[in-house]
Amino acid sequence: MKKSVIAGLFLILLSSLAAAQTAQEIVSRADEAFKGNRIYSTSTMTVYLSDEAQPVQKIEGYTMEKDGKSYSLSIYVEPRRMKGTANLMIEDDLWVRFSSTGRVRKLSSSAKKNSAGGSDFSYADMGEGGSGLAGKYTSRLMGEEKVEGDLCHVIELTASGSDAPYEKMVVYITKDTYRYLKIDYYESGANIKSMSFYDYRTVNGKDYPFAYTMFNHTKPSRTEVVIEEFEVDSPKVQDRMFTTRYLETIR
Amino acid sequence: MQKKENFRERILGTWASWSSRNWGKAFLIIAGITAVMAVGMSMLKMEMTFYSILPDNTTQVRDMKMIMEEFPAASSIMAVVDARSIGDPLEAEKKVKEGIDAIVERISEPEFSRYVVRVTGKTDMDFYKEHGLMFSKEKDIERSAGMYGNLDLVPLIRAVNDDFEREYSGDGEKLADEEQLAVGMFRGLDEVLGLIESSAKGQAPSDRNVDSALDDWLFGESYILSNDSRMGIAIIQPTFTMEDIMDMTNGVNAIERAVKDLGREMGLPMGLTGMVVVGRDEMATSEQGIVLSSLLALIAILLIMIFTFRMFSVPFISGIPLVTGIFWTMGMSGFVIHRLNIMTAMYLVALLGLGIDFAIHLLTAYRQELDEGDSFSDAMRQSLVKSGPGILTGGLTTATAFFALVLADTQMIRELGIVAGMGIVCELIAMILFIPPLLGFRDYRRTKKGKVEHSVFDKVKIRSDAASGIGKVLVKAPVLFSLIMLAIGIFFGLKAPGVQLETNLMKMEAEGLESIELQDTLVDEFGMAPDSLSIISDDPAEVRDFSDRLDDLSSVKMVDSLGAYYLSPDDAERRGKLIRDFASALENRKAGTDVDSDALLEELYRLEMNVMEMGDMAYLGNLDKLLNTINRITGLNEDGEKIGESRFDRLFAMLEEGDIDREALAGLQNRLQDQLGSKLMKMANDEPVSFDVLPDSLKDSYISRDGKQFLMNIMPTQNPWEQEFRGIYTQQISTVTDKATGMLLAGDQLTYMAEKDGVKAAIVAIIVVFLILLADFRNIKLVVLTMASLLLSFLTLFGFMALAGIRFDFINIIVVPLLIGIGVDDAVHINHRYLREGKGKMKSVIGKTGTALLITSLTTIVGFVSFVPSPMRAMRSTGIVLSIAMAIAFCFSVLFHPGMLIIMREKLNLKIKPWNRSEK
Repeated sequence: MKKSVIAGLFLILLSSLAAAQTAQEIVSRADEAFKGNRIYSTSTMTVYLSDEAQPVQKIEGYTMEKDGKSYSLSIYVEPRRMKGTANLMIEDDLWVRFSSTGRVRKLSSSAKKNSAGGSDFSYADMGEGGSGLAGKYTSRLMGEEKVEGDLCHVIELTASGSDAPYEKMVVYITKDTYRYLKIDYYESGANIKSMSFYDYRTVNGKDYPFAYTMFNHTKPSRTEVVIEEFEVDSPKVQDRMFTTRYLETIR
Repeated sequence: MQKKENFRERILGTWASWSSRNWGKAFLIIAGITAVMAVGMSMLKMEMTFYSILPDNTTQVRDMKMIMEEFPAASSIMAVVDARSIGDPLEAEKKVKEGIDAIVERISEPEFSRYVVRVTGKTDMDFYKEHGLMFSKEKDIERSAGMYGNLDLVPLIRAVNDDFEREYSGDGEKLADEEQLAVGMFRGLDEVLGLIESSAKGQAPSDRNVDSALDDWLFGESYILSNDSRMGIAIIQPTFTMEDIMDMTNGVNAIERAVKDLGREMGLPMGLTGMVVVGRDEMATSEQGIVLSSLLALIAILLIMIFTFRMFSVPFISGIPLVTGIFWTMGMSGFVIHRLNIMTAMYLVALLGLGIDFAIHLLTAYRQELDEGDSFSDAMRQSLVKSGPGILTGGLTTATAFFALVLADTQMIRELGIVAGMGIVCELIAMILFIPPLLGFRDYRRTKKGKVEHSVFDKVKIRSDAASGIGKVLVKAPVLFSLIMLAIGIFFGLKAPGVQLETNLMKMEAEGLESIELQDTLVDEFGMAPDSLSIISDDPAEVRDFSDRLDDLSSVKMVDSLGAYYLSPDDAERRGKLIRDFASALENRKAGTDVDSDALLEELYRLEMNVMEMGDMAYLGNLDKLLNTINRITGLNEDGEKIGESRFDRLFAMLEEGDIDREALAGLQNRLQDQLGSKLMKMANDEPVSFDVLPDSLKDSYISRDGKQFLMNIMPTQNPWEQEFRGIYTQQISTVTDKATGMLLAGDQLTYMAEKDGVKAAIVAIIVVFLILLADFRNIKLVVLTMASLLLSFLTLFGFMALAGIRFDFINIIVVPLLIGIGVDDAVHINHRYLREGKGKMKSVIGKTGTALLITSLTTIVGFVSFVPSPMRAMRSTGIVLSIAMAIAFCFSVLFHPGMLIIMREKLNLKIKPWNRSEK
């Protein structure tokens, strides 16, 4: 009797471990699309406040993974006032270069969670693409749900450590193609933002969303990003770009 | 052949015969019952507030009542000044401030003292000027010590630059939250630059100019302005709350008139909002538009009844028992639950509809017996014998179904069940007891005066079996009619899951109400909604702790409380020490004699860069007001191009060329030493402070009348009446405390009632109805068929609502019990009559019972249609939903149910008689 109880418990434990592994695998697989090295992109970002579009921002993006570290550089091309303003993110460190003065300023360690330039994205949301979510969160498969007609795995991601920007996320990954379709971000137990991904296109054998929108549920605001150019293993992405010295040279 | 009467029919027949002859004695019996009910009535409390529907035993409701009673500021009115039509932002801001000042002046006049405790247009800065540092966080006191350690011009600007360049958070959201403060600070900075420029030119600024520039720099904006300063608010604290209905209406009207007049005089739109203003509008609009239509409906109902029953006295014969039944219901409610809430009181209106139906069934049967040639006494007896059992079964079934609601979780549903159940029983008894003696009295008078039927009834004669035409057609094609009705039911039933619940209570109010629209405007323009959840606490330390934690939530714009003013003894000690150090350093500061112009130039270059970087942040964050302020200081346009000469430019030119009046600049330095030094010394007050030293406006707002409770208002970032946001807002708050309360909870309570408890209650009610019908008819096939008719009525109604986009709300949900009552009643009447009349008599059954159903449906529909012209959306939707529901119930009762009875009994030869009775 005792043995059978232990065996039963062991089986339950095994099956739950197997489920956890599956969820982690699904997220890792979905992350793969974002993990292409040396990605160059140009995109437009539009913030809508109470459905009213604010000036469109055009941004050049450079991301790189090297020696286990994530590097990301965003340079504003438009609007005119912001041309040359840049954000550099190396792991959790952030710097901003202001075009109006040419000065480079280091941001505080807590800044990653803050809103980036009035958008509904935090600096972390913008720079996290390269490293993926699987490593920072513990996954749990919650079930299946249709999103925009596609059947998705619904996976809950709980922050593994205190450095994760969100306490919890719920991600919706298509069952057949392992594409992120939606991410719900949680803070203090409530879904405060949701990011939806659209217009997946295949680049270098990987599916990548060419449009995504962050919907803010606590403010009448949303931010739409549309990718115009996208290159993986791009020669435009060079190691020297991810330094504060390079920031100072941007014009 | 006379059919043998059962016990129930004998009792009814005996009462009909006796009471119609001995009407005086019968009236005495009824008067006795009414006297007993009057005792119950005296025990009844009317609670016509939103929180009367909330669970009485929860902390939240107790706290909400306490807030309303103990914190008058919770009922604050917001007078909004709108200058958005003025193009020039500076001119718009000036006009807004003039508007606010004018409102404060006007509403402070003695004529408003009856309604207004206080009106404020600005933050009380004097308090901050004296105690500012003690209420600043320790890190801010240390920061101030760093900034103001040396008040000479160059070190001061250097310290400001150092402060700008401290570790940078890059937080666009935080900057947006503090935009108003930042704008004030930059304007003050610009004024300080102006002082330096005029001094450099050799012009000594006045003490007033220096004082004003320093106040703006240190304390920022004191008016309550929108993000772009084109709107502003004056807060009016009234003497009344939503409970004081008369004062609320008169007070809000008087204040609104004065504010609107001012708006017209100044050419600026001005309006009021806040819960009491919404409450006033609600009261006004609930009556608007329906007075005339209700009057017309009443006349139409009376005419229908007068001509159907051919009696001018029918309004009295049906109306007196109807009102008596309502009175008895209120008396019974007084005995049993001691109160009527807003929902049960509304149910009494629905009870009028159900009660009059009993009268119509009785009077129709009476008129039919007379038309068949019976004498008065025979007609009276037969009417009660024939229609009485149907009325009794229908009524008691519905009543028991309502009584079953006592199993519900929510107190409101339980109370509704008790009141509704008792209401039906009271109306039923009142009608059966009262109508025969009233008809007896009428017959006595007519006989005494020798009256005959009025000639007008010969001209306009409605047959007492007017529905026989429907019966004639139906018996020819019962299958066709049943199938068509079944198909309609299935079609709408498939759409039924789409019916939604209105969880935004503000969408139930009249469209275009200024008080409601201003709430949305405040969300857009000020980034916060006026309606909030609140918490009360008797522990000041808890107030501070909660305020700090709630302020960090993303759904919370700010927490209005005394949290920032509470200091624990340890805090006071630590801050006191820092302040003493600060004051001591300030007192011992060294004052230079001249100004190093090269160093000044270098620090001004640095300052300009810091200001420009803030401009970039403001641009990215869409903070127009801050961007405009910074652009003015730096001479840039929106694209960051230089379009004009700024104070910086002029100062750079003068300093680079050495073209400055050094003596005047040194003079300014001395003035700053004196005036800024003295302001800072005043702020560096290390006296231990308590809530007693707070300004009255703060104490009245956040401390209860007895001084024991403290209020926190948690201002949301969006309109919390929208359910999606309300879910986030309440969830986030619940991670800090479960003590939050407010009118917003009524919306959640409604959701809970409708989605969970309401459904559970409806299922219980339907099961009970089923069991009672089973006990009455003792034939499962007949009962299932009766229930099917009711179910199809519900599915059709829900499907229609889903297709038409009509949502269930707090008021129109009354249709559910009403439809159960009427739907079951109608089918039960037909069943009883059909069982009594026998096979092949459906035409006669529909002719007789169907006429009563037609009249009951017509009168109810006419009554509810009168709600439709109301500007109040909830009233309008109630009118539409109830009218449609009554029409649907009639169609299924008369077109589906009889057809199915014919199919079952006459085509399929299925037995529908009780189990122990032969079908023959």
